[in-house]
Amino acid sequence: MQNALGLMADQNIMIGITLALTVAGVATLFMALFWPQRWRLKYRMEFGFIALLAVLIVYADANSARTYTTYEAELPAAGAFSGMVTEPDTAGAFDRSIRVYAFQWGFVFLDEKGEASRNAVSVQPGQKVLFTILTNDVIHGFNIPAARITTELDPGETREIWIRAPAAPGKYLIQCLNYCGLGHAQMKAWLVVGDGVENPPANAAHG
Amino acid sequence: MTDETLRSSSDDLRAPHWEPRNLIGEWSLRELLVSDDYRAIALKGVLTSLIMLAIGGLFALTFRAELTAPDLQFFGARPYMGLMTLHGMLMVFGFVIPIVISLCYYMLPKIMKTDRLHWAAAAHGSYWTLILAAGFLIVGRPDFTWTFYAPMSLRVGGNLVWLGYVAIILVGISEFLAGMVLLRNVFAWRGRWAAMPLMGWAMLAEATLLLLSTPLLSLVGLFLLTDWLGATALFDPARGGSTKTFLWMFWFYGHPAVYLPLVPAIALLYTLLPRFLGRPMWSYWSGVIAFALLVVLSFVVFHHHFQPDVTVHGWVQRTFQILTLFIFVPSTLHVFNWIATLWQGPIPESARSAVPFRFMIGSIFMLIIGGATGFLNAQISVNSDFIHNTYWIPAHFHAMFLGFCGQMAVAGIYYLYPYFTGRMYNQALANLHFWLWQIGIFGKVAMMYILGYAYFPRWVVDYLPLPEWSGPQLWLSVAAAFIGLGFLLFIANLAISARRGAIAPADPWAASQPAAVSDRPHPAPAE
Repeated sequence: MQNALGLMADQNIMIGITLALTVAGVATLFMALFWPQRWRLKYRMEFGFIALLAVLIVYADANSARTYTTYEAELPAAGAFSGMVTEPDTAGAFDRSIRVYAFQWGFVFLDEKGEASRNAVSVQPGQKVLFTILTNDVIHGFNIPAARITTELDPGETREIWIRAPAAPGKYLIQCLNYCGLGHAQMKAWLVVGDGVENPPANAAHG
Repeated sequence: MTDETLRSSSDDLRAPHWEPRNLIGEWSLRELLVSDDYRAIALKGVLTSLIMLAIGGLFALTFRAELTAPDLQFFGARPYMGLMTLHGMLMVFGFVIPIVISLCYYMLPKIMKTDRLHWAAAAHGSYWTLILAAGFLIVGRPDFTWTFYAPMSLRVGGNLVWLGYVAIILVGISEFLAGMVLLRNVFAWRGRWAAMPLMGWAMLAEATLLLLSTPLLSLVGLFLLTDWLGATALFDPARGGSTKTFLWMFWFYGHPAVYLPLVPAIALLYTLLPRFLGRPMWSYWSGVIAFALLVVLSFVVFHHHFQPDVTVHGWVQRTFQILTLFIFVPSTLHVFNWIATLWQGPIPESARSAVPFRFMIGSIFMLIIGGATGFLNAQISVNSDFIHNTYWIPAHFHAMFLGFCGQMAVAGIYYLYPYFTGRMYNQALANLHFWLWQIGIFGKVAMMYILGYAYFPRWVVDYLPLPEWSGPQLWLSVAAAFIGLGFLLFIANLAISARRGAIAPADPWAASQPAAVSDRPHPAPAE
């Protein structure tokens, strides 16, 4: 299935870089401690090291900006990074458009006909779904692990996210990630993919 | 204690010293609490912070028991969130920040050779204000987490929730006073600025962070109180306020605040490393520049705590993203410096067997584990996937706060132990403590990273019985038990060795091999 933010490609490279940096740092520390060879580092090596970091910083920033702008260019409204791109013209083309109200503590989904459902929303496999999310009490979160997307919701603000529904029919978790009061742990809903999904086992994270 | 011994010991307190002696045995409790002697002020702060660590840790183990398995076993959301909030508040404001600052209250006059803490009254004020704040929190038992996001924090239950807002004001005042003390004592330096020990530069950085950021914390506390009373409506959108006002104000304190424990912990490392190795740091100016960069950057990255933010222009957000990524530079400059110092000459056997040195190495290890992921957290695209408010974030800051800052505080305590008791800690117990903590902290951080990658949400009392969640949660509780056991051994060691430990030699940390010849003009910062 398509990851909204493209984790399987660019972001895996970033995770790989982070792991490599961690391993390199720890390995260097242990070599400095246990390798018998002693070594007086030249000062210019530090400048080389900073140059390497600068390259990583430029790469990470460019990659993050590109990934996120590409994602947001699909949205009908101007998004977070809209200042960096020309007005999106590829917007639209969603199979479903669903309004979401997040509240203490739960989600209400309104489909295109205005029919409300509490704590569950039904879509078909592989559909491209737009969620227009509103909250007006406290700060909430909206996270669909299977679609690899999360967003923070501020009261009075409308946020849009889109996902590609998983190809496999089933019941996928939607949850609040921001602490929003004592009912926070119960603030979850289900993305029901496909017809006739009665009560299949839940797929939370990696659908 | 007779008047005569009281007088003579008080006179002794003013005399310079940097040799092991049973200082604690010479002090009465009253002296310890009211003395203006920097050693007493430091010891008072360290002991109190350890009590906070004990309480905060006990709370963590208690709510961790609930999280060990899915579903509700022991208690519901209200007691859980009370414990969780007090854990965060006591650990951040009561343990990790004050303990490293207290250790620096001791180190700074010693290393700057002023041998007194100027403005000791402000240090006392800072201490007692914090005690008052901790008392208010424990009595008020708020359940709004240590980041108390408005308007949620305005709508929590309990008649005593206002005590929590007052406590936030008091924490800000306490930290501001500590910043004043540190700044005053840095300016007590009488040598050339270019020769000031790195501890001095670090405390200048720390004072800047404290003085410029903490007023915002007190203001946030004050406005929460007045909003709650109905006098104002700054943070509540239902009454015309804005959560953005809260987020910008709180995180303007909150991002420098996460460096409040970091900078003194780095300063301790710069102080102890040359001491154990018997040679100066690889680069003095690299350290100074890294401190300066860290201070400047710490004030201009706070927006990453609530990115992406649709009300802010894209380029502004991208600027915050770039600046956040640049934090990598000063933090790795420090680590580079430490590793280069370790590598440039032999590591004496005396250092390898010294427990403070081992904890320093453990700290650097955890700083790498926790710091490298900052590269991911800064990126808005990755952050919007699995990082924002999943367990990934607690993994990152527990590696930094406990793994680095907390372990450096422990290194500092083991290091100062002979200077306060005249005796050495028990080596076997201390080694056991070291390994229990390395396994416990690494295990806990690793499990939190795994849970974060599997989208485990923060701040939940209950969770779904998914194998990718319940397995790591179980191991996380086991790791937490290791840390708790290590802490008990630590305290037992400190208590027992004060009477039974071997008498400390004249220089407990003398390097056992001749120091490598260095061409650096700067003195080793420690002495």
